[in-house]
Amino acid sequence: MNSESQSQRQESDRLEKKNWFTAIFARPEIGPLGVMILLFGLLGYFSIPEGEFSLNPFAGEGFNALGIRNNFRVIAQLGIVALGAGLLIIAGEFDLSVGSMIGFAGGCMAMILKWGFAIVIPYISFQGGFHFEGLKIFEITDVSPLTAILITLCMTLSFGWFQGWVIVKSGIASFIVTLGGLFFLRGLTEVCYRAFNRAPDQTAGSTTVTDLPDIKNIINVPGHGEMERDAAKALPNEDLLEILSNVPSQTVAKLTEQLTYINEKVALNKTAIQAKKMVETLEKSLAGAKESGNESMVEILTKKIEAGVEVPAVTAKAVTDLDIAKAYIDTIYTARPVANFFGGDILEPVFDWLYFTADWNVNMFGNQFAKGMYSCLMIWLIIALACYFVLSRTQAGNWIYSTGGNLNAAKANGVPTNKVKISLFMFTAFCATMFAACQVFEVNTADTAKGNLKELEAIAAAVIGGVVLTGGFGSILGIILGTIIFGIAKEAFFYIPGIDGSFYRVFLGAVLVSAALTNENIRKRIMGSI
Amino acid sequence: MSDSKKPLIEINNLVKKFGSFVALNGVSLDVYPGEVHALLGDNGAGKSTLIKVLAGVHPKTSGTISIEGKEVDFSTPRQATDVGIGTVYQDLALNALTSVSRNFFLGREIKKGPGPFGVMKMKEMNEITIAEMAKIGINISNPEQPVGTMSGGQRQTLAIARAIYFGAKILILDEPTSALGQKQQMEVLKTIKRVQRLGHIAIILITHNEIHARLIADRYTFLSLGEVIGKGMAEELGGDDIKKLMAGGAEIGDLRDELGA
Ligand SMILES: Nc1ncnc2c1ncn2[C@@H]1O[C@H](COP(=O)(O)OP(=O)(O)O)[C@@H](O)[C@H]1O
Ligand SMILES: [Mg+2]
Repeated sequence: MNSESQSQRQESDRLEKKNWFTAIFARPEIGPLGVMILLFGLLGYFSIPEGEFSLNPFAGEGFNALGIRNNFRVIAQLGIVALGAGLLIIAGEFDLSVGSMIGFAGGCMAMILKWGFAIVIPYISFQGGFHFEGLKIFEITDVSPLTAILITLCMTLSFGWFQGWVIVKSGIASFIVTLGGLFFLRGLTEVCYRAFNRAPDQTAGSTTVTDLPDIKNIINVPGHGEMERDAAKALPNEDLLEILSNVPSQTVAKLTEQLTYINEKVALNKTAIQAKKMVETLEKSLAGAKESGNESMVEILTKKIEAGVEVPAVTAKAVTDLDIAKAYIDTIYTARPVANFFGGDILEPVFDWLYFTADWNVNMFGNQFAKGMYSCLMIWLIIALACYFVLSRTQAGNWIYSTGGNLNAAKANGVPTNKVKISLFMFTAFCATMFAACQVFEVNTADTAKGNLKELEAIAAAVIGGVVLTGGFGSILGIILGTIIFGIAKEAFFYIPGIDGSFYRVFLGAVLVSAALTNENIRKRIMGSI
Repeated sequence: MSDSKKPLIEINNLVKKFGSFVALNGVSLDVYPGEVHALLGDNGAGKSTLIKVLAGVHPKTSGTISIEGKEVDFSTPRQATDVGIGTVYQDLALNALTSVSRNFFLGREIKKGPGPFGVMKMKEMNEITIAEMAKIGINISNPEQPVGTMSGGQRQTLAIARAIYFGAKILILDEPTSALGQKQQMEVLKTIKRVQRLGHIAIILITHNEIHARLIADRYTFLSLGEVIGKGMAEELGGDDIKKLMAGGAEIGDLRDELGA
């Protein structure tokens, strides 16, 4: 009997030690990472123009400067709401009202910015016949962007709190309660738009707010006060020159240098375009000559093409003082930093460097292609970082995992599971409001259809990223990967030749279900069995 | 065990009614430190009800509970844990999807910083988890491994170690062996034995398994239909007594007749 060696063996020894390779491939993020790289590859290589060959995935439209700017805007916007949805699912609940909340929050913000904010107590009046009157107890007009966002947050967070409260107190499935929220908020938003847009003759109003000023581009022009950037650039010439005369000479020198660089670049590209056109004309004639069998003509044209065409170089436009003044106005920092924080651009110095120094961020006319990334990218990353920190490092994170993983266990150990859930319902409302703020301040319009279907896209992104719908399992890194996959698939499929663009939905559907299957598998493996 | 020892917890004439249904009808019970007190009885006898009253899940209807001579009364589980009653339920209150140390400290995380956004001190938590589990006999190699990868016996030990670390003087175990295989049942009994040897903890062990009870119990109380139908020290009771009392007082012979009829 070798009971000695038997008893030496510990229960813990039965857990196989993994080496780093299997450890990496056991990570739930590995699948989404693979799909993401595949999509990046598709987008990069298929967007390279036909006939051109390049191993550089940045050579095509998909990942040129403008492509990056636009693609990451789609991703970032979805990403903001996917983080909220993901955390909530990890805690074991759903929020289907996110999309409607985006529309509601955008509407609130736009309407408050346009017409101000008031608290009105309605009452019934009999003077001059039975009708309703309103008693204004509080009113502010000319609301600043920050105030508009804060007022909107008060409303959306209250609504999120209310939904969460109903769910934890009643025990009704969050699916139903937030489905109610979906209809309620979308309807309420539409009603408000119509009511506030109602024309004086009582005809129904439209469901948009369109003519907001470009708030993020309001600047303080020396000698003229606050005005929109475009208005400043359209000032009479003498005013522009006056403004320029007060600019330090160092700045003027730098601007002149940049403008000269741009003009030269534009001239070079113009020359290249003309040369290309000339070659095309010659090739066309050559083809014609070949068709008609004109031997001598073919010979002449072939020689000409082989010799290469010479077109006279286009001379660069001279830099005028007015150009410098306008360029200076472009550099003035916004007078509305909050609006700019949400709706403006970021990383402009990097994109300037890419144009002026790296010679990459250049469009076909020689101008700078993209001026920066959309601000929503930064907001997404800030929220993602905060979420990552909270979920993986803090007590709250442990509470979120346990609330979704085993509700009764969490309760028995004194975790305030109701508070956890309600806070996360408020957090999804917060994310929806941030999404709306980015949109409103970026495009300066709002309409009632904004955010449509975003609740489902957010859930899909989270699931693709490894979050399990029954709760307790998922990571922020996974949610980010899932978001990128969801956001980039449409673009990537658009460029694949000979394939209907709508195939991206077929693809996403398949990815979603296989992701869910994989997640469930991993979860079961971890749960083990007694 | 000598009589000079004072009981850690004294339960006197405890009554618990659910509406007009009398689940516990005047139950009295003393548990001493360093002893395993087996609470035995048929299904529906009121064992779970008794421990739920002790754990603060249900309020008692009448009677007294005293801990170290002081009468206590609680209406929430929190109050019960605060006076030193640690209950390990059958489902163990563990989250299988997170790590051992995250479970060990669930709800009472060691952290630095404001409120729930304080950063958990994972290193410290891991070290304590390893040390506390080792005290009652299980060496875990990796405190970051998910609880789901542990065996049932290890999970039981985790739940017990956690209750003790967070100040349980009276440890209540609700059928700790019932869901386990042979080998793991032994692991758990060993663990309970180690806790017993610590000397300062009173253990109430609820079980269906007479053999398990006989292996580790120092004292017995038998419940039937909400009343105590027998009690005694391990030395005093014979195997037949135990069998008889567990079946609710019926003689084995009677049962044989009943089945035969
Ligand atoms: N919350 C409750 N409400 C009403 N009756 C209950 C409740 N909990 C237990 N009972 C009843 O009390 C009796 C004792 O149950 P229980 O303590 O669970 O028995 P045991 O754990 O010994 O099998 C049973 O008849 C059960 O139906
Ligand atoms: Mg029971």
